[in-house]
Amino acid sequence: MENSTNILVFATNIRTENDKQLISKILNQKTEIRQWNIDQEDIDCVLRIESDLLSEEEIINIIDAHDFDCTPLE
Amino acid sequence: MRTRDPNKEDAVKQKAIEMLVKYGIEGFGMNRLAKESGVSVATLYIYYSDKEDLIKKIGTEIGQTFFSEMVKDFSPTMSFKEGLRKQWENRARFALKNPLKVACWEALSHSSYRDTILEESLANFKKTMWNFIENALEKKELLPISIEVFWSVAYGPLYALLRFENEGKSFGDTPFKFTKEKMDEAFELVIKALTP
Repeated sequence: MENSTNILVFATNIRTENDKQLISKILNQKTEIRQWNIDQEDIDCVLRIESDLLSEEEIINIIDAHDFDCTPLE
Repeated sequence: MRTRDPNKEDAVKQKAIEMLVKYGIEGFGMNRLAKESGVSVATLYIYYSDKEDLIKKIGTEIGQTFFSEMVKDFSPTMSFKEGLRKQWENRARFALKNPLKVACWEALSHSSYRDTILEESLANFKKTMWNFIENALEKKELLPISIEVFWSVAYGPLYALLRFENEGKSFGDTPFKFTKEKMDEAFELVIKALTP
């Protein structure tokens, strides 16, 4: 089974390539994040994070701190 | 924690195939898929990391199903005629049973996803078919022709008949039904053309 990882999904405004590069630097440094990607083709620029350790709130705080919107998708 | 539900996942896959056929790759989107398959966007992103990931996975899965059907009861050591007939039967059966999957496969294999999905699904099948052709050439049951001409003559007539079947008619709205008789008739002509 491949479902033991917690997957967190957010709507963001990480829209441009520059935005993505900035966020990449930050997320790539977080060893708690197993894997992440942003679907910039999607209207919500969906940020998808696989992490067993970080909570939804902690991720929102990280993204917020760099002046991007980040709302959990339900 | 979000977890995967295999039933839901199958329903999403089925819907994605329908939508890829209906709207094409460009017109296909995760939001739209979520809406039409009745799951939340978040759920969709649990199954797939993005649109590209989804298309690749679906394409590869169709390819694997297709190629595993193709080698059913088939062996590269069969005589050329017997083996090609088995290929016709397998291809016809799959196309008649899975018109949507075939249409989706067509759309994807003419797109930029072609290489990825073929690489993942085709390798073994290719080896089997090459073996088959090499054996046939060695036994002098097949004329030495280029692979492109071989493929066109060997399968072109079958796919043309299947297209008529798919449309339910041939020329000038003449109703058409793909039958074993029609298949046999075309197959015999193909064998005549390809064998020395």
